Formats: sequence, C-alpha cells, structure tokens
Amino acid sequence: MKNVLERLLNLLAFLLTVGRSVSADEIRQTVAGYDPEADEAFRRMFERDKDLLRKMGIPLETTPPSGNRPEVTYRIDPDKYGVPDPDLTEEERAALWFASQVVRIGGRTTEQGSFLKLGGAISSEALEPLSADLGEEADVLADMYEAVSGRRKIRLHYGGRERTVAPHGLGHRRGHWYLVGVERGETKVFRVDRMQQVAVIDETFDRDPSITVAAELEGHPWETGNEPVVTTTVRVDPDLAWWAERRLGRSAPTIERQDDGGVLLTLDVANPDAFVGWVLGFGTSAEVISPPEMRERIVTRIRGDE
Amino acid sequence: MSRTATHLTRILALIPWVIAHPGSSVDDVCARFGYESTRDLLRDLDLVFVCGLPGYGPGDLMVAYVEDDQVIVDMADYFASAPNLTAAESLALLAAGMTVLASGQGSDELGSAVDKLGRALLPDADEMLFVDMDAEPELAETLRKAAVEGRVVEIEYTGLARGEHTVRDVEPWTVYASMGNWYVSAHCRRAGGERVFRLDRVRRATVRDETFVPPSPRPEPPIGYVATEDDVVATIELRRGALWVLEYYRLEVVERSEDSAVVRFSTYEPLVAAQLLLRLGPNATLLDGPQVAAALATLRTSLLTRYAAF
Repeated sequence: MKNVLERLLNLLAFLLTVGRSVSADEIRQTVAGYDPEADEAFRRMFERDKDLLRKMGIPLETTPPSGNRPEVTYRIDPDKYGVPDPDLTEEERAALWFASQVVRIGGRTTEQGSFLKLGGAISSEALEPLSADLGEEADVLADMYEAVSGRRKIRLHYGGRERTVAPHGLGHRRGHWYLVGVERGETKVFRVDRMQQVAVIDETFDRDPSITVAAELEGHPWETGNEPVVTTTVRVDPDLAWWAERRLGRSAPTIERQDDGGVLLTLDVANPDAFVGWVLGFGTSAEVISPPEMRERIVTRIRGDE
Repeated sequence: MSRTATHLTRILALIPWVIAHPGSSVDDVCARFGYESTRDLLRDLDLVFVCGLPGYGPGDLMVAYVEDDQVIVDMADYFASAPNLTAAESLALLAAGMTVLASGQGSDELGSAVDKLGRALLPDADEMLFVDMDAEPELAETLRKAAVEGRVVEIEYTGLARGEHTVRDVEPWTVYASMGNWYVSAHCRRAGGERVFRLDRVRRATVRDETFVPPSPRPEPPIGYVATEDDVVATIELRRGALWVLEYYRLEVVERSEDSAVVRFSTYEPLVAAQLLLRLGPNATLLDGPQVAAALATLRTSLLTRYAAF
C-alpha cells in the first residue's frame, strides 16, 4: 500500500509539472517507484495506476501515436486537474453534508471522498430520521451527467430504434430519472432506465438555451408525453375523493365537487399509459367519464387483451 | 472506490487544504480528513515527505511534518487543489441538495450551497438538472417529531388496495421518500409488526402522550413493501416496461435477464398484486398464485361492471 501510494504521488507530481505529453517508457525511466527493468510487470502496474487515477476523477489524457510520435503518450492538464472551489462557508458545507447523507442514489449515499475534495469531512452528528432514495441506474446516470455537462451527444437504443440525441439535461421525478434531449430538432424526454446500449459519442453540440429540464418534466406523469393532449374527465367516489384532491393539489386542475362527496376531475393527458395506470390506482373508486377513446383505452387495459 | 483510491484521495485533499490553512492543529486536520489517530496522520505525512519530482533530492521532495502541534506541508505547489469531482460525485451532490430543497426541508444555507456548487461544477445547472420531489406533506413534520421523541401516534389510514379505513396506533421510526412518495416506517400495534404507511394515505395523525423505546439502531427504511407471515405469494413475470417494479417493491427475484424477470411477490392483500398486474398491462404475466388470480378476476369484473363494458 505504502509503495503504491508513493508511486502514484510521484506519477501525479511528474505529470502535473512536465508540461507535455509523455510516453510510458519515459514515465518508467523517470518516475520513482516503477521498475525500469521488468517490462511485463511495468505494463501491468501502469495499467492499474491509470485505471485507478481515472476512477478518482483525474483527467489523464491519452494521445494516440502519430507521424512524429510512434508511441501512445499521456498527460494531465493542470487546469483540468483541480476541483473548482465553490467557496462554501462552513454552514453551507454542513447543510450539503446533511443532504448528501439522507439522499441516496440506488441505495448508496455520497462517498466521503467528495467531501474530502471539497475541504474535508464534517463530523457526523446524529441525523434526524429522514431519508430519500432517488432510484437505481447510478452508473448510466454518471455517464449521462458527463454527456450533459460536456455537451456531448449520445447514441442509444430507445423505443425500438437507434437514436442520436443531444442531451440537454437530467431530471428526477416520481421515482424515475429522465433525460431531456434534442433528436432531429425535436425536444424529447427519455426515461433513463429504459435506455439500452447507451454510449457517449465524440460529437459535441451547442445547447439550446430555451430548453430547461424543469419545464419538460414539471407536472404530473400523464402530462409528460409525446402524444397530442386529450382533455379527460374522471369521477372519483367519496371514499377516495380526499386523496385525489390531496394528490392533485399542487397543480390545481379543474376539480368539481359533487353532491355525494365525490369529485369530477378534468385533466390534460399527454401520456395515456401513465394516465391509465394512475386511474387504476384508485381501484373501483374511479371512472373515466370522457372522452370515449380514453374509456375504451382503460377498458382494453382492464380486459387485458392489449 | 478502492481502498487505495480513497486513501490517495484523502492525501491529495489534505495537501492543498493544509497549504491554504497554515497553522492548523493536528486535531483539526485529523477530524476534517477522517484520521482516527495522530499516528495515522503522521504516517501519511511521512509518506508525502518522500515523494515529489524526478531527481528526488532534498529540493525536489515535498515537505510534510508536525511541529508544535501544527501540521506543515510545503514544496507541493502542483497539488494546489484537490482532484476534481467525478461525474458521479458531482451529480450525487447536486441531486442530493436539490432533493432536500424540493422537499421543503432545506435551509437557506443549503440553498446557497447548491447555488454555489452548481455554478462551480455545472454552468447552467438550473436548466440542466432538476429534481422534483413532492413537498413534504404536513403530516411528515408531526410524525418525524414523534419518531425523534418516541411518542405513539394514532393514525387514520386508508389501505392501498381496498380503500378501507382503519384507525391504528403506531410507533413511528423513520419518515422517508422513495420513488417519489413519502412514507413512514413504524411498528404497527394493530398488526403487531413492522409496517410502512404512505403519508398521502394517512388522513389524520394524533400524537399521544404515551412513549415507546425505538429500536436501536433505527432500522433502515425499507424500500417498498415489507412481507409478513400471513402473506400470499404470486409468481409474476415482468418484461421491459415493468422492470421498475424490481426497484419499487421488495420482492424475491427468481430469474433475471436484461429484458425480463421472474419474481415472487408477497402481499398480505391479494388485491394489491391484482391492481399492480392490471396497471402493468401487457408488460406482466401472472405465472402462479391462485389467490391473486382470483382477486384479479374479481377486480376485472367489478371494473368492467362499472364501465358497463360487458
């Protein structure tokens, strides 16, 4: 362990100060800790070291061989190495620490490493019994974040075909992560857990500043979709009317109270699938009243002959 | 991260911090960077002391030692800042902050922390990252307080499947959000075991004077449903489009491929599984589970009757 750490510190010090891209051979001859004699052992060691540095977030760049340089060369750009200083006060750091301990992505809380990089950990106090989980897909999410922040396009398989998308942002809503992207000039919303064969490709794009994730994702699940909006009326019986009102309170659609204590809701539906699921969540206490197509859709789902 | 990576991160974070904060005490550095003993810190400083630039002579190596209880690091200008955050780390930090803010639990300090962090890590963070979390329901504060104080709470609850109203005494443990909903995990005195209640289905909560001793450590909030002995079991095949169920419910995965999964779903109320199957539509098939099949048939009949669709 001690030797590995010394070697890595020496390697980093060298790459951060050498000011040019250097070959593996030069590293082996120059940096203390590598054995200049044993070929195979060096190669294995160097591979492991590169891998470890990249996983830590250190931007070790590779330049492929070219005409006048027959070997692969490596460099670390000192300007890209360091963490940008967000200049947090101790109180702000403590607040962020608390948030990072109660919110998990895929069951994992933030690793201590992030806080070390931001200037040290906070002594952990007894936390209030509160927590939130933002669902799985942590690895794909990291790739998507990188694509969004680096303004690099992605290629993916989604909804039965291959697409190339300019990723404009990521958002989490009601248990799922979504990517907002532009495909052939159209803004679309993709669910991250339904993406397949995702790859960040070597093509950059200019962000369309009018697109914001919040605007694409805000609202109820049935409002976020790619189908034409259908105004739909649903009746909810008295036993669950209070619950429907509570769920809808935020965006205040038309709610009409009826004499028996039930409610009549008028909703704009752009995602019928999500809508059908939502209505069925009321069991037999809710009924789609109109339009007929939406009634038909829900009856088809109930019959189970889709 | 591997142990080596975590250790190296600690050293690379410590060097610039000590350089920027001359005169810091051993205790402060240990607390901040998670060293359990002074000896561990000294060991790392010794390690830094023998590293540096090629040549590796006295003028090339970094300087790191403790003198008069002060930590000193020098000759390490190339490590003037800690390594950048990885994409996963940046996302996790920003999303965590935004989640707590969206839940209405955030302080002013958290608001400005997320602002500053966003500006530093991701220009246009406001447009590019968004976390929507239902604002915490009013009852959450009541229940959380009762959990902290160990007070028994009487709740009026509407079950998810039958819409039946019950009044029960619970010993609340943890208030949490998962998959976009708020829950409280508790010991339910009526059921005599651990139960999870969705807060939006709690119509009323009254804190009693009676206290209880919460289990220690407090159990991790379960994600999804918690099985009990009286449960009925259904074997269900999930296909793409229904695989979110794997994350949402706590269930036993019998088979798993990239596009499908076979799971054993257990529930005290067959209607819960029946309703789920209906919602999943063509993306799920009930393979086995007579009680659930019966409940599904009954549910279908009542719904079709309601829609006059026979």
